[in-house]
Amino acid sequence: MSRLSAQIVAVVAMNLRSLPSRASISAVTLVAVAVVVTVLLSFLAMANGFRATVAGSGSPDVAIVMREGSEAELNSTLTRDQVNLLLDAPGVAKGPDGPIGSAELYVIVDGIKREGGTRANLPLRGIGPSGVALRDGVEIVEGRMFAPGTNEIVVGQGAMREFAGFELGKEIRFSRSTWKVVGVFAMHGSVFESELWADAGSVQSLFNRGSRFQTMRLKLEKPDSFEVLRDFVKTDPRLKLDAKTEQAYYAGQSQRTSDLIMYLGWPLGIAMAFGALAGALNTMYTSVAMRAREIATLRALGFSGIATFAGTLAESLVLSIVGGVLGALATWIFFDGLSASTLGGSFTQVVFSFQLTPALVWQGAVLALVIGFAGGVFPAWRAARTPVSTAFRL
Amino acid sequence: MSELHLIWRNLVRRKLRFALTLFAIFIAFLIFGVLGGVRTALQSGVDLMADNRLVTVNKINFTQPLPISYLNKVRAIDGVQVASHSGWFGAYVRDSRNVIVAFAIEPESYLQVYGDEIRLDPAQREAFLRNRQGMIAGEALAKAQGWKLGDRIPVQSNIFSRSDGSTTWEMVVEGIFRGKEESSDTRRMYFHYDYLNESRAIGKDFTGIIVFNTVNPARNETIARQIDALFANSFYETQTDTAKAFNKAFIAQLGNIAMIITSVVSAAFFTILLIVGNTMMLAIRERTTEIAVMKTLGFRSERIFRMVLAESMFLSLLGGLLGIAAALMAVAGLHKALAGVLPDLSLGPAVIAQALAIMLALGLVTGLLPAFAAMRLNIVTALGRN
Amino acid sequence: MTKLFELHDVAKRFQRGKESITIFDGLSLGIEEGDFVAIMGPSGSGKTTLLNLLGGVDQPSAGEIRFAGSRIDSLSETGLAAWRAANVGFIFQFYNLMPMLSAERNVELPLLLTSLSRARRRQSVEAALKLVGLEDRARHLPKELSGGQQQRVAIARAVVSDPKLLLCDEPTGDLDRATADEILKMLSLLNNEFGKTIVMVTHDPEAAKYAKRVLHLDKGRFAGEELAA
Repeated sequence: MSRLSAQIVAVVAMNLRSLPSRASISAVTLVAVAVVVTVLLSFLAMANGFRATVAGSGSPDVAIVMREGSEAELNSTLTRDQVNLLLDAPGVAKGPDGPIGSAELYVIVDGIKREGGTRANLPLRGIGPSGVALRDGVEIVEGRMFAPGTNEIVVGQGAMREFAGFELGKEIRFSRSTWKVVGVFAMHGSVFESELWADAGSVQSLFNRGSRFQTMRLKLEKPDSFEVLRDFVKTDPRLKLDAKTEQAYYAGQSQRTSDLIMYLGWPLGIAMAFGALAGALNTMYTSVAMRAREIATLRALGFSGIATFAGTLAESLVLSIVGGVLGALATWIFFDGLSASTLGGSFTQVVFSFQLTPALVWQGAVLALVIGFAGGVFPAWRAARTPVSTAFRL
Repeated sequence: MSELHLIWRNLVRRKLRFALTLFAIFIAFLIFGVLGGVRTALQSGVDLMADNRLVTVNKINFTQPLPISYLNKVRAIDGVQVASHSGWFGAYVRDSRNVIVAFAIEPESYLQVYGDEIRLDPAQREAFLRNRQGMIAGEALAKAQGWKLGDRIPVQSNIFSRSDGSTTWEMVVEGIFRGKEESSDTRRMYFHYDYLNESRAIGKDFTGIIVFNTVNPARNETIARQIDALFANSFYETQTDTAKAFNKAFIAQLGNIAMIITSVVSAAFFTILLIVGNTMMLAIRERTTEIAVMKTLGFRSERIFRMVLAESMFLSLLGGLLGIAAALMAVAGLHKALAGVLPDLSLGPAVIAQALAIMLALGLVTGLLPAFAAMRLNIVTALGRN
Repeated sequence: MTKLFELHDVAKRFQRGKESITIFDGLSLGIEEGDFVAIMGPSGSGKTTLLNLLGGVDQPSAGEIRFAGSRIDSLSETGLAAWRAANVGFIFQFYNLMPMLSAERNVELPLLLTSLSRARRRQSVEAALKLVGLEDRARHLPKELSGGQQQRVAIARAVVSDPKLLLCDEPTGDLDRATADEILKMLSLLNNEFGKTIVMVTHDPEAAKYAKRVLHLDKGRFAGEELAA
């Protein structure tokens, strides 16, 4: 080890050992950094959770066909004739019972939020016989699937978590019709878990929709058959419809909300970071002032300015790193996995969980380090320039 | 020199520390101001609504339709002053992503119900009522889309189609209305229900929601129950609420925003409470000798207490007021940028009053302990340390 | 001459841990108005404690202290503060000026405790600074002044409210000989020309020479009294 690095190690160790004597002021910096990191990470985890839920919902090999200009499933209308034409469209995968496609209805019903007890929009989706086969990873976690042609309903486990009254066996009244919850389903944390599913035919009749549907989901033969399908639905004069891959559809739906949360989280985090930086600078300048004689004595003994600089900077960095770790831990304990719901792009509630990932923790750590560095470098500079004569002053 | 001068000199004696502490307070109040503005924006629309306004919607969900025939049945109920209805049209112009907030209404009654919120020149009002293809657009919408009186606009619907398969309804801008307040959101338009209803392929003779004013808010409850009872067990059961409650529930759908804002603001204030409190404590500790000297000169302990407290109050008020001033500017800037998302974004007197109260509380809490320490300071021991 | 101070059977004890320490017991002393008393004695002899008692910043455990005939030992803390403001000027070894205030504002500080108008305060401050010969340094901060100058500002502060009594705790302890003599001459002047009664604690025999009377305090007792020539 070179002499300088030996000096640095000695000074850093000395500084850190004396930290407890500045406990209250050091703790303030630590807590301030922890709070800032927690605020930032909770917003990022929220945005990330929402995006993961919505954007992760769509499959690249399912096409979703809607009325031109509809933008969302809710607005779209398709006739029985259009649905039949779509089943024979080019590029659609075929199963043992013919083309795989599900004509669906998407109606909004009221759910009562468990938290707050207010009414909120929940999607009730009427799905065709291939509706489940079309979607990968649907899993009944409780009860069973609804039987076609009945007033039975299955509930996504997200909807079940956030809304009251959908427990297995419960009866739900929509107007004059009564529906029975026969099962709870999961689908790898996707947006579908925020939905209620029933037989499309039952929804048509009980919601007075005649023979109309809203959207058609089609399984693609192979990934590149989407282009063919899209051109067909767009140009056929009987159709003139829009097609998107489900993946693209849900990516579009998640963008605005998750961006909004991010755009809220970062400025907030940065603003608060400036506040914490002010606190950190205060702490470090005070620390340098309190150690002035000690620093000067070291300099008198022959320690270099660089070593005293490093000592102070290290103190600041250690405080902010520990603060950042505490912040990340707090986020992980209090927010990770926290269930929440908001109004998504389809005008219905999307149930999602806060999701803290290592990548996000890294962003929080960077913020903490920036605070620690900026909060340490100026005081460290002052420490390095402490006149040696300070040591001899009475 | 006055005592104020003394307090001020004490406060700014360490310029860097003063600036940093002030800045931390500034940031916290800036955050408070901006988020307070956001919270008010979410509430203001609701608060401005008339107390005697009620909304009848489909019990399943407000996006489900109601038969238009319900309107006259509601009108027949005693205590209903004036009733109208509106339906969501899902409008866009040119590009399906250029979505426009548009409602199909029964013009005359609707303008009666919303006489206060939709402010329209009498001549334009007449023209709109007369022209079946007429529409009125809010000032902000007209400006955003570049519409002028008399313009013919091909409005498309992302929901409805005409019987002939087309999705375009041609409308004429007959009026441009203003809102109740300067800040009111006017990014929406209204047009004749009849024009839509006669030509649409689906949803004929249905509307979205029924809105009405009652003769007296005290009767709201009874009237609402009467209406819902009237349609109970029909295919289209209803749910009647005050417009305030209805809108509040809608905002709540976005999530518990109030709670998120409160959490963030609390976190910010908790942090500065620590920072400022600690700084004040350090400042007083550094001044031990000086305080002892002042006491020796004959300054009474209560006066010392008051001066330290005044110092922290001053710090908190100064930082806070600067923060709120910056928040006012930030909100004014954001008001333009976020006009589409949060039209009513503004920093109202209520938020400012709250901020002032917090400043005082912050000053008090951060100053109390050091002031107490200074007051209790014993001259003999303090000077003995020297 | 009338007695300004009368100490009768004064005791001062305090607790250090479980142990009770007696600084002095049964101490009696009289100080005439217009006197200039130097109190000398080794460290721990109780001279600073005595000064604290005289200055009303500390209270005796037993005994009486009378100032101009009235007892001050039984005054409340608030009463003592008012008494100090009205009757005592303090001069410390390390000057103890407020570092953030200019010289004139330091001098003005005790006047905040009076009801004088701003103009009257201004006059008093100017007069006091003139007396110590620092009128041209009025706007300077303490750190911009030498030790001697700072002590002169402190003297101006001590006399600005025209108290009868000046208490000095090692006023020259931090100064070189020449500067110390200057300060001591100034104190003599205040004693002779302005009739200020001065009690000064010092361990510098040279400084004690300026006093009219020197008291030697040792282990809480006066060892002997010498009158200055």
